[in-house]
Amino acid sequence: MNGWTILLIVHGLVAVALLGAITHQALGVWVPVRRPAGNFVARFRAVPGAGYANAIVVLYLLAAVLGAVIYAEYRISVRTVLQQLEMRSAEGAFELKEHFAAIGLGLLPAYWYYWRAPASDHARTRAMLTSILAFAVWFSFLVGHVVNNIRGFGV
Amino acid sequence: MTAGFAIVFGVVYTVAYFACVEGNYALFTYHPALGEFGMGVQKAKDGPAMYWYGWMATSGIVAVVAGGLAILLPEAVVRRLTPAATWIVALAAMLAFCWLLKGFFLR
Repeated sequence: MNGWTILLIVHGLVAVALLGAITHQALGVWVPVRRPAGNFVARFRAVPGAGYANAIVVLYLLAAVLGAVIYAEYRISVRTVLQQLEMRSAEGAFELKEHFAAIGLGLLPAYWYYWRAPASDHARTRAMLTSILAFAVWFSFLVGHVVNNIRGFGV
Repeated sequence: MTAGFAIVFGVVYTVAYFACVEGNYALFTYHPALGEFGMGVQKAKDGPAMYWYGWMATSGIVAVVAGGLAILLPEAVVRRLTPAATWIVALAAMLAFCWLLKGFFLR
């Protein structure tokens, strides 16, 4: 297995952890559980969101750094194939992924700061920042997965 | 970290990133086929030229300077900064990128 594929797998695993954490947190802020959680979905929403903020920042940074490293190989060996096959939607979706991921990076200081604030303050800001990050993470994950299905780095 | 830094960094970074992409103000260029970095915006050499890292670097520096200046702002001014600006500007930038890249999807 080549080094790029190993890095891509690690990037994907970090992204899965990040997806789980940010989805827990996003559901927790939008549909919080007010009674003791009974079923699986309620338990999923019942997590204390503030406890996830540090982990999410670290995982986002780690995923971004790993993504930035393998992005160079994508430009050489994957994007050119997408262009040759005229797969414009896949190429455009990956362009959007890079911009959404970059915007998410810029939101991390505010996200971290407002999750450290008392729970009663800035609830809307916290919810919106979390939602934007969750959208960026889900979008990036799905686009990366589809593009890897079209053309991976090989073995 | 202060509220002033968090808000100003978030807003300025997003606006700067959008401006960098639109105007191609990359701090440096990466040539992946050669494994070389070059200062500023450079044309493709052997293989593609990558500006994304350079756009983020430019935006990051601008945002850190602006955020640093925001720390010096009086408390009364910081209280007038609205935290919602962080997510509103980010959302607007994401929508703007969708619009700019619509050519990839509508053909």
